[in-house]
Amino acid sequence: MYPIIELGPLNLGSGALLLVIAVFVGHARFERVARQRGGEPLEHRASRCAPFALAGAAIGARLWYGLFNWDMYSQSPGLFLALRLGDLAWPGALIGGALAGYAYLRLRRMDNAAAPLADAASLALPMAQAIASLGLLLSGEALGTPADLPWAVPLFGVPRHPVALYYLLAALATWGALMWVARLSPQPGTLAAVYLVLQGSALLLLEALRVDSLVAAGGVRTAQVVGLAMIVIALWWKRTQTASVL
Amino acid sequence: MISSRTIWDLALVVTLLIGSAFIWMTRATPGAIATPLVPEPAAAQPAPLVGHPAPEFTLTAVDGAQVSLSDLRGQVVLINLWATWCPPCRAEMPAIQQAYERFRDQGFIVLAVNQQEESATIVKYMNDQRLTFPALLDSDARVSAAYQARVLPSSFFIDRRGIIRAVYRGPMSRGMIEGTIEQLVAETP
Repeated sequence: MYPIIELGPLNLGSGALLLVIAVFVGHARFERVARQRGGEPLEHRASRCAPFALAGAAIGARLWYGLFNWDMYSQSPGLFLALRLGDLAWPGALIGGALAGYAYLRLRRMDNAAAPLADAASLALPMAQAIASLGLLLSGEALGTPADLPWAVPLFGVPRHPVALYYLLAALATWGALMWVARLSPQPGTLAAVYLVLQGSALLLLEALRVDSLVAAGGVRTAQVVGLAMIVIALWWKRTQTASVL
Repeated sequence: MISSRTIWDLALVVTLLIGSAFIWMTRATPGAIATPLVPEPAAAQPAPLVGHPAPEFTLTAVDGAQVSLSDLRGQVVLINLWATWCPPCRAEMPAIQQAYERFRDQGFIVLAVNQQEESATIVKYMNDQRLTFPALLDSDARVSAAYQARVLPSSFFIDRRGIIRAVYRGPMSRGMIEGTIEQLVAETP
């Protein structure tokens, strides 16, 4: 664990620092991938859409965190606006970012760019997620259940599943798979569907090993529900594609 | 021959069923960790997280006394990780002092765990600001590491059973401090 990076008098939280880097890298890659795949028109749309998607992601991440930490957040609603980079939740960021990005495209009557941009985002996101997961690993977040494994990481006196490391590997695997699928030049939207299935599965399976999950009624881990929904959405999309071909 | 649409329908239903079953099977069991309202001390490992027992430490206070967290069981404890060079830490100190004066008689104590500064610096600051709660010397930053103090100030509110009930990273408002303490001191040990 290296929760704090010392730079002279500055103590920077490694988790927060890497999260900021991840957002920058993800944003830059999103526009670059858009350019590679759709030339300047798509890059232009990507750069117009990105600020809205990022703002949606930030709002979604905090709302999601606050909603499932309602005891604390209802007592001090000011927390919803507080500059606390740890109080963010990835499922909320994904939902908020996707909704805000799509809403912007709809309002601007650029619906036809939605699928190519979703593909570009799918190619850009895994790298950002890998960096952010490294931040979680360094700051000792995404705490895992105790495990008797050679790669278990000791935290708070017990060897545990390094869930952040699993998420990092899942992000890299998703990235590799998407790069491979991208070379087959599939129809627009396919990369996004592959992303949803792979990352949805990662959330569904890996979240089960966490001890600090956000939970809803009955102890159901919210990230798993989102993971399952991601898989189902991708399958549903594929089904409608099949139907329209027949 | 089955149409490919039927196959996708089947895949959807199977995914939903298996996925939901998996989510239900791996749900967070109450009492493990995830329910901050009814924490089970015996079930959880010490960790700097809400619902967990607070990680134990013994530190030397600026007056030379040894202070152990476990000796304070039965009291509501605010562990405030801070340093005199940190402006937001200084900003919240008057509010912490005020809360300390208000709730001290109801079994509330503040441990101001200072991150790696000289005792003389701390004493001068505490005297200048008229702060009367104990300041502890975390000379090797071991407590900061155990409490994952990535941000200064970081504050941990520990209930009478030794369970962390609230964690605030960054400066707290007067309302946040007093509201949290008010709730915790009202609980019976």
